[in-house]
Amino acid sequence: MRYSPTLVDHFLNPRNAGLMREADGSGSDEYAGCGDLTRFYLRVREGHLAEARFQAYGCGPTIAAASVATELAAGRAVEDLATLKAQEIEDALDGLPEDRKHAAEVAAGAMRAAALDALRRRHGNREA
Amino acid sequence: MTRRVYLDHNASTPVHPEVVAEMLPYFSDVYGNPSSVHGFGRDARAAVDAARDRVAAFLRVRPDELVFTSGGTESDNFGVKGLALARGRGHVITSKVEHHAVLRSAQALEAQGFAVSYLPVDQHGMVDPDDVRRALRPDTIAISIMHANSEVGTIQPVRAIGALAREAGVPFHVDAVQTFGKVEIDVDAMNIDALSFSGHKIYGPKGIAGLYIRRGTKMVSIQHGGEHERRRRAGTENVPGIVGLGKAVEVRARDMKTEAEAVSALRDRMWEGIRARVLEVRLNGHPTERLPGTANICYRNVESESIVLALDLKGIAVSAGSACTAGSVEPSHVLVAMGVPLDWAMGAVRSSLGRSTTAEDVDYVVASVTEVVRRIRQAMPVGAA
Repeated sequence: MRYSPTLVDHFLNPRNAGLMREADGSGSDEYAGCGDLTRFYLRVREGHLAEARFQAYGCGPTIAAASVATELAAGRAVEDLATLKAQEIEDALDGLPEDRKHAAEVAAGAMRAAALDALRRRHGNREA
Repeated sequence: MTRRVYLDHNASTPVHPEVVAEMLPYFSDVYGNPSSVHGFGRDARAAVDAARDRVAAFLRVRPDELVFTSGGTESDNFGVKGLALARGRGHVITSKVEHHAVLRSAQALEAQGFAVSYLPVDQHGMVDPDDVRRALRPDTIAISIMHANSEVGTIQPVRAIGALAREAGVPFHVDAVQTFGKVEIDVDAMNIDALSFSGHKIYGPKGIAGLYIRRGTKMVSIQHGGEHERRRRAGTENVPGIVGLGKAVEVRARDMKTEAEAVSALRDRMWEGIRARVLEVRLNGHPTERLPGTANICYRNVESESIVLALDLKGIAVSAGSACTAGSVEPSHVLVAMGVPLDWAMGAVRSSLGRSTTAEDVDYVVASVTEVVRRIRQAMPVGAA
C-alpha cells in the first residue's frame, strides 16, 4: 500500500464529512487540471473553531486530507487557521506520495479560505 | 482474512496450472539455445517448433507465418511500423481508441513523415467501416484497427474493415491482444495480414507474445541481430515462454467457449446488481458486440481512483478508467473518444472477470461497490467535477 495507515483510516472513515447549515465561514479550493475540490464549513465560538465539516471530490488522499484537516483544526484560533500550511496536513497523514502532495495543498487552501471568510464576516458584524 | 477477488484479467491473468507444469522443465532441464547445433539446442528447438505448431493450428495459419515476440507492445510496434516502414512513405489508418502501443507507434511514424488518420468511434466505442472507406487514399499503405478494446470491451467490425482493406489492396494489422483465446478469430475470413496476440492475457506467462504475418506480406523487422524467427525478429527465443504460450493456447481451444458463456453470465449478474443498487451509473461499451468478461462502469461525480482504492482495501482488484498522475487527471482516451461526458468519465472503473471468478465473488463486489460509492458520495460537494 502506497498510503499510510492514517491516510487509509481517514479515507475509509472520514471525520466530519458533510454540509453545515448557517456556517460562520466557508471556503473551497480546487486543483487545476485535476478536478479535485475541497470545501470546509466552520462554526466559530470566541475566535476559535468549534466545529468543522468538509465536502470533497477527488482521489483517496484528497478525501483523507480534508478529513484530517477538520481534526487538526479543532479548537484552534481562526487567525491561526488562515495561515494553515499544507505540510501540517501532510504530516498529520503521516506523509503523502510525491504525486499526491496536491491533496494536502487543496485541503490547506480550502481551510485558509474558510478561515478568512469567517474573519471577514466577524469584522463585518462588528462594523454593523 | 479478507476475501480477495481479482477482477483485472484484461491487465493480466494467473498462469494456468497446466501451463506452469508444461513450462517447468524448460527452465532447468531443457535449457539449450534453440540456435545451437548440439543436442541441448536441438531439444529446445523441438519445443519451440512444437509450440509454434500448436499456435498455428489454433489460429488456422501456417507455422512459418508466426513470429514470437516479447509482448503485445512489441507485436503492435512490429505490426504497425513493420508494415509502414516496408513501404517507405504514405498514409496509415488507425482509430482513436487503439492501445497506446499502436497509437504511439503511429505517432512515431508521423514524426518520420508518414500521414496518419485517427478514426473516430461512436458512443459504443465502435469504428464505422464507412469511415475507413472514406479515409482510404491512393497512398494508404496500412490499416491498423484493434479487435476488441481493452477498456470497454467493444469488438470492432474487423471483418468489414478487412474486406475494405483487401479490396483496396492495403495490408491490415489487427491488435487482437484482448480477443486472442477469448473470441473466435479467422484471419482469412477477416482478411487480416498481421495480427498481434499475447500470452499473459490468456493464462499464459508474461514476456511472450506473437505476431501473425500473412505469407507474402511485405514487412520489415524492427529488431535486428541474429537470424532468429526466419530473420524477422532477432533475439534468443524465450523457450519456457513459448512452450507456455503453446500450452495456454491448447487450453483455450478446449475451454474458451464454455468459459466465455460462464464469464458473460457473471459479468451481467454484476452489472445488473450494481445498476439495481447504485444511483447514476452507466455501462460503457457496445451492448452486444463486447468481450465476455469486461464491464466498464461509470459512477457519476465520483473519482475512479477513490473507488479503486476503497475496493483494494476490501481485497478487490479492479482498474481505474482515469489516471491521476502528478496532479493532473486524464480521463481515458477511449471514453473521451466515445463522447462520455467528463463528470462520468472521471468515475470509470473497469472490471474484467476470468475463469476463476465465482458468483460469490460477484455478489461480494456488488455489495462492496454499493457501500463504497455511497460512502464516497456522502463526502462529495454537490455538482462538483
